[in-house]
Amino acid sequence: MWSYERRLQYPVNIKQRNPRLAQVIMSQFGGPDGELAASMRYLSQRYSTTNKKVAGVLTDIGTEESVPLRYRR
Amino acid sequence: MDKTNREKLFACITATSFVLDDLRIYLDTHPDDQEALDYWRKVERVRNEAVEEYTKCFGPINSYDVDVSNRWTWVDEPWPWEGRC
Repeated sequence: MWSYERRLQYPVNIKQRNPRLAQVIMSQFGGPDGELAASMRYLSQRYSTTNKKVAGVLTDIGTEESVPLRYRR
Repeated sequence: MDKTNREKLFACITATSFVLDDLRIYLDTHPDDQEALDYWRKVERVRNEAVEEYTKCFGPINSYDVDVSNRWTWVDEPWPWEGRC
């Protein structure tokens, strides 16, 4: 169902390594209150609404939230 | 610093895609907003031209557009988070 493009939604240009910041970002992405968990909730909840607009917007927001966030090692 | 044509094209794709990504979510709940629809059409045209030009000159950003005449090249180039584009 999903396809991806070979580009980032926002350009990444890391000039300096920062492992502590990287850890925070990775937690924001995959952690307990991270985007990955939120995206799965949106994509799951979209099936429990009968409102077409709400189902549509949950599908598209869930998709956006699931976009992998990467950082350079 | 002078930006290369490739960087300019890629920046155009990034910017127009971002507009459409945001507009899509708005239009999901406002499907009859003519102003938003006009904006979509306008930006979509610019994006399509930029993607077509970029793909032709520098290779695909979409795996459906990979040229398979010789070999599978999708994983040859560095990924965007690996320091290019």
